[in-house]
Amino acid sequence: MPKKSNPLQDDFRTEMAAEREALAAQLGESDTFGDKMRRLASDNKLAVFSGILIVIFILMAVFAPLLTPYDFDEMDLMARLAPPSAKHLLGTDELGRDVLTRLLYGARVSLAVGVIPTVFSMLIGVVLGMVSGYVGGMTDAVIMRLADVVLSFPSLLLAMVIMYTLGDGITSIFIALAITNWASVARVVRSETLSLRETEYVEAARSMGVKDMVIIFRHILPNCIPSLIVLFTLNVPSAILSESSLSFLGIGVQLPKSSWGLMVNMGRTYLYNAPWLSLVPSAAIMLVVLAFNFLGDGLRDVLDPHLKNS
Amino acid sequence: MLKSIGKRVLQTLVVLFCVSLLIFILLRIIPGDAITTMMGEHANAETIERLTKEMNLDKPFYVQFASYLRDICTGNFGSSYTLNKPVTELISAAFPNTVMLAVFAALIAWVIGMVCGIIAAVRKDGILDRLFMGFSLLGVSIPVFMVAMLLQYLVGYRLHWVDISGVKNWTGFILPAIALGWNSAGSIARLTRSTLVEVLQEDYIDTAKAKGLGQGAVLLLHALRNAMLPVITMMALQISSLLSGAVITETIFSINGVGRLAVDAITSRDIPLLQGTVLFTTVIVIVGNLIADCLYTVLDPRIRKGA
Amino acid sequence: MTKRMRTANLLLACALTVGTLGVGMSAAAEEGSDKVLDFAMNDDLSTMDVMNTTADYMVPMNVFDRLFEIKVLEDGSTEIVNSLCTDYTVSEDGLTYTFTLREGVTFSNGEAFTAEDVEYTFMHLLSPESINADIALRVAGAEAYMAGEADTVSGITVDGDSQITITLTAPHAGFIAELTAPAMSIIDKTTVEAAENFGIDLEETVGTGPYVVTEWVNNDHVTLTRNENYWGELPSVETAIMHIIPDASTQNLMFQNGELDILDLDYQDASIVASTYQTQYAEQLVSRSRLALTYMSMNANDEFMSDPVVRQAIQMSIDRQAILDSVFNGNGHLENGIIPAGVIGHNDNGTEITYDPEAAKQLLADAGYKDGDITFELAMDSSSSSNTQMVYQIVQQQLAAVGITAEIKTYDQSSWLDTRKSGEMDSFIGTWTMDYNDPANIMDTFFGSVENTVLRSDNYKDTEIIERVAAASAIVDDEERYAEYQALEEKIIHEDFSWVPLYALNHFYAISEDVESYSPHWAGYSDFYIKDVVMK
Repeated sequence: MPKKSNPLQDDFRTEMAAEREALAAQLGESDTFGDKMRRLASDNKLAVFSGILIVIFILMAVFAPLLTPYDFDEMDLMARLAPPSAKHLLGTDELGRDVLTRLLYGARVSLAVGVIPTVFSMLIGVVLGMVSGYVGGMTDAVIMRLADVVLSFPSLLLAMVIMYTLGDGITSIFIALAITNWASVARVVRSETLSLRETEYVEAARSMGVKDMVIIFRHILPNCIPSLIVLFTLNVPSAILSESSLSFLGIGVQLPKSSWGLMVNMGRTYLYNAPWLSLVPSAAIMLVVLAFNFLGDGLRDVLDPHLKNS
Repeated sequence: MLKSIGKRVLQTLVVLFCVSLLIFILLRIIPGDAITTMMGEHANAETIERLTKEMNLDKPFYVQFASYLRDICTGNFGSSYTLNKPVTELISAAFPNTVMLAVFAALIAWVIGMVCGIIAAVRKDGILDRLFMGFSLLGVSIPVFMVAMLLQYLVGYRLHWVDISGVKNWTGFILPAIALGWNSAGSIARLTRSTLVEVLQEDYIDTAKAKGLGQGAVLLLHALRNAMLPVITMMALQISSLLSGAVITETIFSINGVGRLAVDAITSRDIPLLQGTVLFTTVIVIVGNLIADCLYTVLDPRIRKGA
Repeated sequence: MTKRMRTANLLLACALTVGTLGVGMSAAAEEGSDKVLDFAMNDDLSTMDVMNTTADYMVPMNVFDRLFEIKVLEDGSTEIVNSLCTDYTVSEDGLTYTFTLREGVTFSNGEAFTAEDVEYTFMHLLSPESINADIALRVAGAEAYMAGEADTVSGITVDGDSQITITLTAPHAGFIAELTAPAMSIIDKTTVEAAENFGIDLEETVGTGPYVVTEWVNNDHVTLTRNENYWGELPSVETAIMHIIPDASTQNLMFQNGELDILDLDYQDASIVASTYQTQYAEQLVSRSRLALTYMSMNANDEFMSDPVVRQAIQMSIDRQAILDSVFNGNGHLENGIIPAGVIGHNDNGTEITYDPEAAKQLLADAGYKDGDITFELAMDSSSSSNTQMVYQIVQQQLAAVGITAEIKTYDQSSWLDTRKSGEMDSFIGTWTMDYNDPANIMDTFFGSVENTVLRSDNYKDTEIIERVAAASAIVDDEERYAEYQALEEKIIHEDFSWVPLYALNHFYAISEDVESYSPHWAGYSDFYIKDVVMK
């Protein structure tokens, strides 16, 4: 959008800033984002540690090929289900593939499954939620009923139907999880939008003829961001776990690729004679899920003390 | 009041209609149909063609959908293609198991969640806080089938306390309920902790302390009561989601529940059974939400006053 | 300390810090001598009426009888024995069969068994909604009856209570063998005609067989109780409970915990069979060489697999023995034709397929293919066992080694079947288990008509051969018929390279200490005859 120089609007912007500061003060949010992060770092060591752990996992996923001498689908039929040893630090699986290697490559898939559909579901949720809350009326009713349908439809079933329709594969998982998860985001964003719309400065802006799009992107969206960051850190682990549920039902990542969920599900067959096969990826999932949860809790404490119910 | 109830019922009907339509459309799009699945390895083009006619699957989808809606309005949910029994009969056989499992699981979730949440709140930011929050989150951090299998192995096989699968009596629900309940405990613990922390910081707690009550009594008398409201609401929501079935837990422990019924219905493209189970669980979820809302309104004095 | 205990303890240490568990392994202790047999199936029945199913045979096999049954001999071979039929004659032209029926047999509700019941069985199978009419359709006039153009099946004549004559549309040497199939279970005319829900309602689902269904709780269990008025020898098991246990790991643990008397090891991972069952339960292991064939199908409509050279190269690049040895611990044997070992007419001296990846590479290179040129989809049913999933991955690797890219693609069962039946599936690995012991069963199913080659997604092109396959079943002389089948199989597999025959696996079962002996189904089905179980 070309930048218009409108003295009136510029005036208005300073007014807005003052309004917003007042609002922020009222909400007890007088400090900046940086201040909040510093507070998080000093008050909540666990959250910081969790953040570091997540970064380590991401680095491991990115540099997987450099960290292991094996390929993720390199079989050694003579060394099936071998226990951990110097050659295979975490043992081998049912086809003699190195478990550590599959864990590292699986991290790529699992982290992607955690992040990508969550980003998409949040985009959909934010757009629909803001439109719903801001426009109201019939549009609101339609979008919210749509959200009701998605929320009341058992999510695993919905994901299954989508996966059956699209066929297995990682893109299908992204789509299935994005479709099943947007509704709850939309609801949160809608209610935030509703309450922000009622604030004086938004009403003032509207009465002054500021374009709706400008109000939405300049004033409403930025105020939703803290809740969105928190929602994000909580939705990522749930997406990772959804992938493991799909694996249990025999759908998901295409063999011979690996993901943590798939590894746990394939490995659980050998729980009693080669427990490392399922326990190792389970532990990986557990660490990542806990890390995201603790990080999310920590962020919530500093960013958004009002968002508790998700 | 009456108007808002009416609006709510209307909304519910719209949602049910959409869910029903969605199933019809989705099952049209997915490849495969009930006949293909019934025939299995055996195949015979003539038979497939004959049965497609016989089961009206060759009719356009809006015709099928209209006749389905008509049947529902007369209370006829049809018969399962694969299990050859009325859908209502199948659901009413499976639902008691789902209810039992949900109730047990909810109890376990509440006990674990609230105990952990309270301890964590009292010892905020301490070791115990992290430890108990970690424990409550553990159940949701590991794929539920792993928790289920470890429980089967340790409690069923090594310790011999209960049967490994099936539900000959109520003890059969213990392990699946732990697996499922632990899974829901984390969010209750988190909510209990955060509300309690907030309430503990409020003025009247200080007042109560000043009056000379011991810390434990303060907690019990004031904070807990005030912190319970959102937790109770969440419990109502959780119960309704538990009642809509837990496929994985039901599968591992061989429990004939609503979730397994629904998944089997999708796998075999059993349209009537899937419609029946999904509509049923949708109603449960909606009613659950309604109850949660009502509880909130009734229990929260601020909302009751219309603030 | 056994290996299992060691890994078990390792698991304990890994999983939870539970401390010391003072409880050891308990021996399988079923409750006393009341001859209750507990076993598991991973899916519930859909019906007990064979007209509506081609798979749920466990109950029909035990509740109903057939005119003939298959008996397994000492050496493992099979023979057809009389059951409800005591004698029969075939006309010279092979068209007309006259059966003399067993007298004094009653259904479990007291109705007498007569020739009319046999006629009615055929008519029931020819109902418009039937999915299991194939065998009954061989009878003259069956098609007209099924289409509603006739009130009776013209080829069936009832001659008093104990004689019935059946005329076929064309000679079919395997007809008697077909009558042993569970699909041909004899039902009671009086009861079924009056029934509202035959196959579902327990009261209405009566047979002449050794067991009666007394309880059926969906997705939970089916109870079969011994029919005390059974006309034959009373079996040992008094009550058999079929538990529906969908998860294989749960079944495994239940058996080890003494909750099951028979464990079908087909559902278990082969390495668990090797590490646990072939060692600790070696004494309690029962095995049956399966009358079945696992094969890899190649679609002749595919861009690359339409070329016989490519098909030949694929045949040569799969190391079948390595798969058998590594995944299945060698518990099976390789197959080189279409008609598997144990089936009458099997060719013991057929051409063998040799594993030769170098030659395969050379073939492809000579034909002008470069590394990575050839790609196709290897379609897998998502409900496949872990064993099958491993086979797919190994095959993929072996093909990759000669420069062929096979992409594994998973479909859910229904989509998989749908795609396959549309004739558009590139390639898949499947298993056919014989329904009855006659080569016609497998030959016709796969190569007996153009339509069938589409339904199987192989799209075999040589219509002349297809016609010969269809005609072969009418050859009355057995030796001549087998020779024709063997010639056809040689042509299809070793000249046209249309299929990759892989292997036939042994079917293992573990039995508890309460079971004296158990004889699995002759063809290696998971379903079995409860009368073949003897309890201690």
